[in-house]
Amino acid sequence: MTTSVTQEDLPLTGIRVVDVATVIAAPYCAGILGEFGADVLKVEHPMGGDICRKYGTPTQRGDTLAWLSEARNKKSVTIDLHRREGVEVFKKLIEKADVLCENFRPGTLEKWGLPWETLHEINPGLIMLRVTGYGQTGPYKDRPGFARIAHAVGGIAYLSGMPKGTPVTPGSTTLGDYLTGIYGCLGVLMALRYREQTGLGQYIDAALYESVFRCTDELAPAYAMFGQVRERHGPTHNDFACPYGHFPTKEEGKWVAIACATDKLFERLAEAMGRPELASSSLYGDQKTRLENRHDVNEIVRDWCGSLTRDELLKRCYATGAPAGPLNNIADIFGDRQFHARRNLVSVDVPDLGETVIVPGVIPRLSETPGRIKHLGPKLGEHTDAVLQELLGLNSDEIAELHKKRVI
Amino acid sequence: MTTENSETETPLPETAATADASPSADEHESEARLPMTGIRVLDLGTFLAGPHAASVLGEFGAEVLKIEHPIAGDPMRRFGTPTKRHDATLAWLSEARNRKSVTLDLRQAEGVQLFLKLVAKSDVLIENFRPGTMEEWGLGWEVLSEANPRLIFLRVSGYGQTGPYRRRSGFAHIAHAFGGLSYLAGFPGETPVVPGTVPLGDYFSSLYGAIGIMLALRQREKTGRGQIIDVGIYESVFRQLDEIAASYGLFGKVREREGSGSFVAVPHGHFRTQDDKWIAIACTTDKMFERLAEAMERPELASSALYGQQRKRLAARNEVNQIVIEWVGSLPRSEVLERCLRCEVPVGKLNSIADIFEDEHFQARGNLVTLEEPGLGEVVIPGVVPRLSLTPGRIHNLGPALGDATYEIMRELLDISPDDIKRLRQRKII
Repeated sequence: MTTSVTQEDLPLTGIRVVDVATVIAAPYCAGILGEFGADVLKVEHPMGGDICRKYGTPTQRGDTLAWLSEARNKKSVTIDLHRREGVEVFKKLIEKADVLCENFRPGTLEKWGLPWETLHEINPGLIMLRVTGYGQTGPYKDRPGFARIAHAVGGIAYLSGMPKGTPVTPGSTTLGDYLTGIYGCLGVLMALRYREQTGLGQYIDAALYESVFRCTDELAPAYAMFGQVRERHGPTHNDFACPYGHFPTKEEGKWVAIACATDKLFERLAEAMGRPELASSSLYGDQKTRLENRHDVNEIVRDWCGSLTRDELLKRCYATGAPAGPLNNIADIFGDRQFHARRNLVSVDVPDLGETVIVPGVIPRLSETPGRIKHLGPKLGEHTDAVLQELLGLNSDEIAELHKKRVI
Repeated sequence: MTTENSETETPLPETAATADASPSADEHESEARLPMTGIRVLDLGTFLAGPHAASVLGEFGAEVLKIEHPIAGDPMRRFGTPTKRHDATLAWLSEARNRKSVTLDLRQAEGVQLFLKLVAKSDVLIENFRPGTMEEWGLGWEVLSEANPRLIFLRVSGYGQTGPYRRRSGFAHIAHAFGGLSYLAGFPGETPVVPGTVPLGDYFSSLYGAIGIMLALRQREKTGRGQIIDVGIYESVFRQLDEIAASYGLFGKVREREGSGSFVAVPHGHFRTQDDKWIAIACTTDKMFERLAEAMERPELASSALYGQQRKRLAARNEVNQIVIEWVGSLPRSEVLERCLRCEVPVGKLNSIADIFEDEHFQARGNLVTLEEPGLGEVVIPGVVPRLSLTPGRIHNLGPALGDATYEIMRELLDISPDDIKRLRQRKII
């Protein structure tokens, strides 16, 4: 744990979030809210729980590392929503909640007798984040969706890979989940603000493919106006700027990224290369000229990069302020001074595992109210009894009865 | 604070969203009821990392003033595909949506004074200069928070405001590399490619910044004081990488490029159809694979003796993928999709932008919003995300002309006389 702010100081202290969602997208929204003080109750099926517990690399405890990291700060409460009594307990939780995160296929909550109208009636201030592959409306709303599919449908998978080659995963298969969790979280926070002014809750209808598509800069307007269909970029992206891409260094497997978005940045690169004349107006000083001669310019940069070790090349670029950086793998990241200085890697003890697990720290970084990680992903049902007793006022006999019937 | 309809000098003619399913209908009626109404944001950033936060807040009612250099303006105006409007690429038109442009030269002392007056009347300031630049102009946090103790200050930079690399120039492209995403994009042992789109990290860092702003606004209501939000683009990229850190930390596992697949599940990737098109299939769970086997009319593949468990599929990755490659390759795309969808297999086309424009679901959800821009005709841009049921966001104008609101803001907000405005113009301070 990196910070020790008292809980009372955080922006979301006093906000209760019920996270009945699975895997990453909607739960990540709850995760961020929890880092900044919200009390997050993870409601899971008594048998097996959130499938995120099985997603990724298993630990000796059974739960995966992805679960430990992304279910940070949450309390696990098991309730079977397929059972009428489970639904009744859930409704009581909703009465006392501010935010509900869910990602069932459209119609599921309705089937359990928990449509928005009912939830809103139980708690008019409730804010609900609904995440699905395609959203709550439209012809594809009932199709199953994962981030992989959303990357494809939203247009970024098509752009990843060598020109005309097999399209590849755009770095990580879960990007669209995180992105949707973030947009959703922003929606929840805006809805909370609106509720404070009006008393009214609302729901946020988030679709994985939409968050992906929103991040495609001018892809849509360029097609609409000029009929231009953007193709796979390969290692370089020279639609707007050159040199702009990945270049191999002298060392096998070590690559650098260079991004000369403006003429001034190219000037600095030319200087780092010891060839300032390249940035003269008679040669490649203008972006337009560089784009017209992209093959020549890329070749010059590639030759230079190939003649140096990665460290030497980067040293020269940093000295002149040329925009360059290493293509880090995770081992590089663990050895990097900047990651350490910014505490981007946080070690958290997991007592029942007997291990320290390293997870990404809290983002964003607030100067007065930094977020915190109190603990990693809980064991299934770890907090069921405490929550039912303390929050909902059930007595131990009632709780025992529910356990016996496997409702919780 | 007013946000609407106070155009004076050189107004941009009214533009309106025409896509009927867009969430921007009745913008004027709902104006007073949006969550961010009454919040004024100064967007001093360039390009996208940081400014996209202002865009989303603007879509939900905030008044966004884009502060630009009087001559050059935001370099984003020149980044992307040029249009007949000399000061606007398509990227600018789309991503500078809902703003008013105010010119101000912060390298001149009088410009700094005017800026501080604006700060005093604003709620949020967004910047993305290299750390130290604002301080050089005499606009460090102490000065800003003295001008307005309630100010919330979002600072986005390649590496953040602290740490040994803070002064280095950073763009999303560099941040994707430094944050560990680019290393993972491409085929094992081959050239690492651009992961999706070049500015992904700009969007990520902006969105984290916007979340920070919302949290800080909430805290300000309790304490009356603003604070700083410090976002490094690289760390917003790194934050997306699920368990990569934990599994290196615990097991020393270095994740490598995965080609079109995934380390967690099989089959989970991109497959070529008979008509040379591509689809994505994502069998994240055993149940999904069972449905795929059914769609392939080979239910036995999902038996426990064969590939019923993820564990077995991961161990026999190549064999399983080969079976799927052959099946997908034997059918045209429409046929593969139809069979998969019938069995509820998670499947989708790898859409090009041309495919997206034809897609009925994009149309039904209003994801493509058309705005009329004088001199350019129709401009189609991505609609508002996220989608709020009671207070949907709206887009009322595309990226503004340079300085379109300078006069209005100087005159009405800062109460500067017309003569003084003229003088400031002559001296190129505004």
